[in-house]
Amino acid sequence: MAPDQTTAAPVPLLSVRDLHVRFPTERGTVNAVNGVSFDLYEGKTLAIVGESGSGKSVTAKTLMNLLPRSALVSGDVTYAGQDVRALAAAGTKHFFGVQMTMVFQDPMTSLNPVKRVGEQIAETLRYHLGRSRSAALEEAEDLLDAVGMPEPARRVMQYPHELSGGLRQRVVIAMALACQPRLLIADEPTTAVDVTVQKHLLDLLDELRRDRGMAMILITHDLGVAHGRADDVAVMYAGRIVETADARTLFVDMRHPYTEALLRSIPRIDDPVHHRLDPIPGRPPELISPPDACAFAPRCLYAQADCLDGVPELSGLVGLHRFACLHPTGTERGVAAATANRAAGVTVAGLPLTGDPGGAG
Amino acid sequence: MSGDGRPSRKGRASRQRLLRRFRVFRLVRSSKGPEPDGPGENEAVRRRLGVGFWLAVVWLVVMAFIALFAPMLPFADPTKVGYSGPREPPSAGAWFGTDALGRDVFSRTMHGARISLAVGGFAIVFGMVVGGALGILAGYFRGRLDQAVGFTFFVLLSFPALVLAILITATLERSLLVVSLTIGILAVAPVGLLARASTLVYAEREFVAAARVLGARNGRIIVRELLPNVVIPMGALTLLGMAVAVVAEGSLAFLGLSVAGDEAISWGKMIVDGAGLRDLQNATHVAMFPVAVMFVTVLALNFAGDRIRQYFDVKELAF
Amino acid sequence: MARFFIRRLVLLVAVLFAVTFLGFSAMNFLGDPLFNVVGLMAELDCEAIEAGSAEDPSLDRARSDCETVAEARATYHLDRPVPVRYLLWVGDMFTGDFGTSFQNDQPVAEIIREKLPETLILLIMAQIVSLGVAIPWGVVAAYRANRAFDRGSTVASFGLLSIPNFALGVVLLYLLSLRWQIFPSAYESDSVVGLVFSMVLPAATLGLPLAASYQRLLRTDLITTLQEDFVHMARAKGLPPMRIMFRHALRPSLFSVVTVFGVSTGAMIGGSLVVEQIFGIPGIGREIVTAVVRDDFPVVLAIVMLVACTFVIINFVVDLFYSWLDPRVRAR
Repeated sequence: MAPDQTTAAPVPLLSVRDLHVRFPTERGTVNAVNGVSFDLYEGKTLAIVGESGSGKSVTAKTLMNLLPRSALVSGDVTYAGQDVRALAAAGTKHFFGVQMTMVFQDPMTSLNPVKRVGEQIAETLRYHLGRSRSAALEEAEDLLDAVGMPEPARRVMQYPHELSGGLRQRVVIAMALACQPRLLIADEPTTAVDVTVQKHLLDLLDELRRDRGMAMILITHDLGVAHGRADDVAVMYAGRIVETADARTLFVDMRHPYTEALLRSIPRIDDPVHHRLDPIPGRPPELISPPDACAFAPRCLYAQADCLDGVPELSGLVGLHRFACLHPTGTERGVAAATANRAAGVTVAGLPLTGDPGGAG
Repeated sequence: MSGDGRPSRKGRASRQRLLRRFRVFRLVRSSKGPEPDGPGENEAVRRRLGVGFWLAVVWLVVMAFIALFAPMLPFADPTKVGYSGPREPPSAGAWFGTDALGRDVFSRTMHGARISLAVGGFAIVFGMVVGGALGILAGYFRGRLDQAVGFTFFVLLSFPALVLAILITATLERSLLVVSLTIGILAVAPVGLLARASTLVYAEREFVAAARVLGARNGRIIVRELLPNVVIPMGALTLLGMAVAVVAEGSLAFLGLSVAGDEAISWGKMIVDGAGLRDLQNATHVAMFPVAVMFVTVLALNFAGDRIRQYFDVKELAF
Repeated sequence: MARFFIRRLVLLVAVLFAVTFLGFSAMNFLGDPLFNVVGLMAELDCEAIEAGSAEDPSLDRARSDCETVAEARATYHLDRPVPVRYLLWVGDMFTGDFGTSFQNDQPVAEIIREKLPETLILLIMAQIVSLGVAIPWGVVAAYRANRAFDRGSTVASFGLLSIPNFALGVVLLYLLSLRWQIFPSAYESDSVVGLVFSMVLPAATLGLPLAASYQRLLRTDLITTLQEDFVHMARAKGLPPMRIMFRHALRPSLFSVVTVFGVSTGAMIGGSLVVEQIFGIPGIGREIVTAVVRDDFPVVLAIVMLVACTFVIINFVVDLFYSWLDPRVRAR
């Protein structure tokens, strides 16, 4: 168990402790989330970063009680002192959608195709806030205006298929913001829209968040998206947080080889032209009966024999810079491991090292 | 942070096993072969037919056997009037009792399987041959032929099935052949649509293109390359189609429009014979035994058919 | 939308043409058309009879029969070439002239007008039963997918789909009306209440198997829809499950049911022939069966045409109904 010794800081808005999610399937149990803990404070943004299959989306869905009934969940999720899972189980009205809400990845599918967008926004207002139909529709128009939708009066009467992806995502955001939630979970909000509007949408979300003093969990596979928008970053791999820190520390002083690899795999504005990007070799691991070892070891340039002896624990205390690695990059142990592996031409987990992978510097 | 991630000291052997596992894993991902130490039996779980399927098959085989050899089996004469008293309840002598004319209901029920299964079987074979041929040709050659065939199917489906059957049986003699053909015609359009759809899928595949590149003629491509692939989904739906055909024949017989004559015993005819209010009140067995046997037979056809459909992973059709 | 509508309309006309032509062919090419409209009188050798002695009283009957035959030739345009005959025949039908029943000399149009209401009431009640049962059934089964209720309902629907209409009718008649005497066993038309009440069993006979198939389709589609992002979105909006089910998930899940609704109307019309027989309802189903048995071809053909054309038009309307269900169809 992670020792919970948070200091005299204010009470977090959302506190997650030792969250486990497993899905029984025909092929065996999928361990999607394996003991995730984090705190999120009022008005802050936490970015959860990881490849697909890392458990970041499952974590988000668990928070929103959106998992299929078959999922086995354990651990504590506390929102402003309330047990969220108990609230969900009791069917508490006006909690989800009012206190916390979520924006999904694909605006093409997250809007009901057979209802006008105005109606879909108004529905939340009518159900949670008891607005009349006409008042709710007017408010929907204002909301669309607030998220930068051109010609909102015309848009409320349109169907989702009449809007472009970027506009649809604005509708989704307007819908999520309707009841002034204190916490917004954005699950890859820009992955499915055109590159040209991604930045607009992200900036819009950031701006709305600041204006409304909302807290946000930004889920993304792209560390670049988190950069400059998140207060804290948690990097997930194979259902675990492998490194977490405040954004500044994480970007300049990362410890986990996976974080490093992620950073190296995205283009940066200050890279020289034609700079070679380094994709991460291999694939994310299978989550059914995972080996009792560091899940990243087979793809890690630093992997040593002890990496295969059990899962490394996350160091340090909640709220501090924590990482789960025995040979952290940027430390002596890490440099030694990388040097040894390069000399051998292959890591202990069997990953061949061809050419210069960039080393630890 | 996690409770189950305690580091443990393990020996070389276990480390070797882990290493092997990583490599095996990579191999599996690339070759998509069976996973040696993983749960590989899930395929088998989905592909098993189950006890229910075999029960259904046993019933169907028994019924088919009875239908084929009924005249040679030691049943009472099904047409003999006054075999014993009229409307007698089931007894050791007449297992299903006797009907209003004192005929043996058990023997008649068993003989009834003959027409039902013959018509059902013929109809689906006819539907598969004619509908299948039309569907494959339409799907392979496309163009005008496809439009004409498609339109014909559409028109055939525009008649409520029983109404089309009535239109045909009303104008022709109601012999076994005519009734079978009538119901066979009903089967042409649904089967043909399925054949056309699967042909469209396979005609795009590489092996057909390859055959064409190698200079195979159309006839050869259709027979050698397409037919074997299209027959599988069609065959998988045979039993389901047969269930529909058996019910259709029963409905015609119930209306007195199936095969004519006293010798032509049919379940539908027996049920309508026993469905008069007086018979139903006082001699329930006359109608209920054929109802039960027919129900179980159709259920067996549907159940076995549905299992086969799942086994071959064919989509359901709306008849 | 306009193009979609026009394309459909063209298809509708073409199918109506083909359907009527098929019926016309059945009358004209399967067997002797004259026999089909006047029965055995067609065998008379009218020329010989005309040539026979005018005084011979034994030929009086034959002479009047020959007049009937000549009349029929004129009525059904039997002396005209086939294409003309077809067009004239279709024209007659459009003006409500379906010919005359040669069993009782009653105009067929009149017979249909008399019998149609009963059949319509039966069919409408049967659809009400099927949808009224299937929608709640499908919703609950999908909401509790793979739980005990759902498993049980799969078995139940399999059984319902395997029992032929006529068998189900006989069983329901026996149990609910003879054994437990809840519903009347015969058709009543004394009062509206009595009529509706006596139609419950026939409607259930037609509607229950259909409810089973609707239920299965609806359940499958609902389970798929419930995994869609927009349903997750609705849950994230904090809406209660039943509101999500009915306001968000149900409508996009109705496609298969609507598709099958058209087709099943055909099965239901077929089934109504049988059901009217069992429960003694004087509708067109009973009429056509009687007519077939008596070789009363004008009646058979008229009813077949009426039913087939209605069926085609129903399917046309169902097609249009799609565009209400899913606005995206209109764009195509």
